Amino acid sequence: MRTRAALTSIFASVGVLIIGWQAGSAAMSTTQPSVTATSSGTSGGTTSTTTTTTATVASADGTYTGDDVNTRFGSVQVEITISSGQITDVTALQLTDADGRSRQISNRAAPILQSEVIAAQSSNVNNVSGATYTSDAYLQSLQSAIDKAGL
Amino acid sequence: MRGTFETMGTVASIVLPADGERVVASIRRIFDDADQRFSLYRVESELSRINAGELSLMSASDELRAAYALAMDWHLRTAGAFTPNRPDGAIDLNGVVKAMCISRAGEMLFSSGLGDWSVAVGGDILCAGHSPTGEWNTGIVDPFDRTALLCSLPLGAGRRAIATSGSAERGDHIWTLERDAAAEFVQVTVIAEDICIADALATAIMSGGREMLDLATDTWAIDALAVMTDGSLLATPGVRSRVTA
Repeated sequence: MRTRAALTSIFASVGVLIIGWQAGSAAMSTTQPSVTATSSGTSGGTTSTTTTTTATVASADGTYTGDDVNTRFGSVQVEITISSGQITDVTALQLTDADGRSRQISNRAAPILQSEVIAAQSSNVNNVSGATYTSDAYLQSLQSAIDKAGL
Repeated sequence: MRGTFETMGTVASIVLPADGERVVASIRRIFDDADQRFSLYRVESELSRINAGELSLMSASDELRAAYALAMDWHLRTAGAFTPNRPDGAIDLNGVVKAMCISRAGEMLFSSGLGDWSVAVGGDILCAGHSPTGEWNTGIVDPFDRTALLCSLPLGAGRRAIATSGSAERGDHIWTLERDAAAEFVQVTVIAEDICIADALATAIMSGGREMLDLATDTWAIDALAVMTDGSLLATPGVRSRVTA
């Protein structure tokens, strides 16, 4: 019994240590938002950047997506645009709303012109998605034509 | 090969490798069994008996209660835009059952060792692997001319499922929310990895309008193409980049 008590106490201590370590690393990640594959030395504005060993090109122009950073309100993710070694734009890809729910505002649907949607030929498609057909409506549907053709 | 059969008041079309024919009958059973239980066109179905007051939801089969729980879960997750409760008090589970069956058919195909297939049932599609022509190129019907396509796009990893909901839709499991009495969309297509998510969200956006569209694209890993009543289009960046020919 004494051995078991000792073992239990050891496991409990290890458990506390692990929890403490996890809490510590969680705190670290909230205080150090990092942007992977970024420049060395051109940290700008409010976006704190950390140089990573995997960065192959320093200060290259382009857009870079940061890591998800967990905050107590949810995850936050930003995208930065670098031009001539300067951060020219910071866009929030993922934010949280007042309820603390995560939002990916970059995925919103926006107007698209009919002309941008190139007219499709039904002979090039494997299947057709549409509002539910009845068995009768199916007979006149494009899906039916494809099925008959055995494409 | 392509196998077709009538079920759930519509037609299922399944594309399989040549040696996959044996599985079609098993897939058909999935749909026919669900239809026996959930159809509102069959007075003897379990759901019709519940709606007639002959059977209580509490004493219904596990299968039916699970489908109802799933529908109620979507009701909560879409702030009421998706609902299994019809205004007349009847329960209608069409909004979840077909997608559940398509999902099950997919699991059966995988467990039969098949990796390249598509299951299309009444306009909702789930696919895996490659089509006989390469990609699973999928057309989206033009709601103003149902013999034409609005566009086509490839389905693939991360976006294997597509569902379209429309005002011309059969049945009546879409009820426009009162606050959006004037429907904003005539057709909504949702592309996701999971057919249940695609189907439920297409229905929810159709009834919940622009507000629900934004909630859906903000919250789930999906793409959407919505056709508004004046014919103009709204598309997520993913649709924009996938629309090919």
